[in-house]
Amino acid sequence: MISLPVLLGVLLIGFLLLQVVPTDPATVVAGPTATKAEIDAIRNDLGLNQPLWVQFGRYLGRVLQLDLGRSMISNRAVVDEIALTLWPTVELMLACLVWAVPLGITLGTLAARRRGTAIDRAIMALSVMGVSVPIFWVGLLLIQYVGGAGLLPFQGRNGPIWTADGFMSIILPSITLGAVFVGPVARMTRTSLLETLGADYVRTARAKGASDWRVTIRHALRNAMIPVVTLVGLQIGFLLGGSIVTETMFAWPGVGRMAVGAITSSDFPLAQGAILILAVGFMAINLCVDVLYAYLDPRIARG
Amino acid sequence: MTDAALPLQSQADQRAIAAIRRKNAVWRRILRDPPAAIAALFLILIVGAALLAPWIAPFDPYASNMRMRLCPIGGARCPDFLLGADNQGRDMLSRILFGLRATLGIGIVAVMVGGGLGALIGLSAAYFRRLDQPLMRLVDVLLSFPSILFGLAIAAVMGTGLLSLVVALSIASVPSIARIARGAAQSIMQQEYMEAGRAVGLGDGALIWRYLALNCWPTILIYMTLQLGQAILLGAALSFLGLGAQPPTAELGSMAADGRKFLSIAPQVSTLPCAAIFLVVLAFNVLGDALRDALDPKLRQ
Repeated sequence: MISLPVLLGVLLIGFLLLQVVPTDPATVVAGPTATKAEIDAIRNDLGLNQPLWVQFGRYLGRVLQLDLGRSMISNRAVVDEIALTLWPTVELMLACLVWAVPLGITLGTLAARRRGTAIDRAIMALSVMGVSVPIFWVGLLLIQYVGGAGLLPFQGRNGPIWTADGFMSIILPSITLGAVFVGPVARMTRTSLLETLGADYVRTARAKGASDWRVTIRHALRNAMIPVVTLVGLQIGFLLGGSIVTETMFAWPGVGRMAVGAITSSDFPLAQGAILILAVGFMAINLCVDVLYAYLDPRIARG
Repeated sequence: MTDAALPLQSQADQRAIAAIRRKNAVWRRILRDPPAAIAALFLILIVGAALLAPWIAPFDPYASNMRMRLCPIGGARCPDFLLGADNQGRDMLSRILFGLRATLGIGIVAVMVGGGLGALIGLSAAYFRRLDQPLMRLVDVLLSFPSILFGLAIAAVMGTGLLSLVVALSIASVPSIARIARGAAQSIMQQEYMEAGRAVGLGDGALIWRYLALNCWPTILIYMTLQLGQAILLGAALSFLGLGAQPPTAELGSMAADGRKFLSIAPQVSTLPCAAIFLVVLAFNVLGDALRDALDPKLRQ
């Protein structure tokens, strides 16, 4: 329900972005030899004399028809440009989640089970370091020591992930992106598990003779997963931010790299489209998290 | 009046209460936690070094000397440059000091502006009940939105540079401070002195400023400090992407990006700024965790 105003806000930003374009679209369409009267006529045709809110309405109409304009540099449709970059970004995020979340949950469970021991402290220290490290440093170190030694490629995406080249080239970006993600997941798992381990039903399970690890995994962990899923959902935004930096560093042809490139080269229509798709993607992921949430906690689905 | 003659607390009681208060004072809790104490000390040193950068930096951070280009740490070409030189032959130590100054400065300004705005939103939401729902929905929306996208959008609209960086970081720090301020203010709204203030005829402005704001600011200030680590990290990332501080400005994120091309021959050019960001943010986070524990009565034991 909060997504609708957000979506409108994002669209408004996208619209405003197109308003700051330094060149006048009517002049461009009219060509260099046009007279002032011709330019004015074209301006009327394009609706550029209408009040801004009318223009915003038209913009919304165009966006709904997936018409995001043309890139000022490549002159290709923005939608086509985005379509090319979407999958590499999704691929990178999945390649990160697929190892970082299980590792985070494992470390968090370990820390909660061994609460107060050196293992717990070490895992928590690692987790604080993980949230404090600038993601580009992780990338730079990997490029310097692993990429520089020729062990793994670090420039671009050399094919889809299911090909050998593609798989090799996603390893370093995925480690970079995941490195900052393991910490928060481990931390949240630990906190949440410590709470559930003290719950009545856990004591009941224990009283019925279930083993320690069975209690932890079968009874406590599933309930502890609810805040963790929420966290992963909330952190998707964080992951999106990380992927923008990671893509730029590893020349990964994703949406984030395209957005940064479009902004630094003042390609306003492309920047507008890229920011729009990042925001919409973020909201779509949040929606998925809500659904997953209901699956993990039947109380929510029924309530 | 025998009531007045009866002291509510004996002097011994008062002394005991004062002793407990002192023992539980937030800063004492921090000092009892070694990592937090180290982090606090480190931050004091770093902030001091950043403030004094123009006086303690051994060289001009913008003076380039091509003969010392990419000179490694302890290299014979640059005996006076303790941390080597960058790709323009500038002293790395001086640039780090000035970079810390810029990076911290950007973060502090942004958190103060954004935090101030957030505090205003939070206090208003707590004080004017009717504003609570709309304001807090707005905060939820801001909070759910990835802050780096603010950075991208604002850099796209306003152009890249320090101003858009500060604006983006400010917006990013509004929502969490607004939540904290509202929480703190709501508990104060229930105090009897609020009612007393209203009864003696104080206006909204006076009640908000003298009663609410002055009672909430320690909490708000502490959370603003916590926010600083995140603001610094985000600001450095945006500058690294080329959307914030622009070269030749000595700012840690853009210095790290600058040094990328020389990783294999002179790793210090990008590693040192990265390490500096890491240590500062780590110190803020360690201190932040300790402060949160100290302030959260549930965790006190």
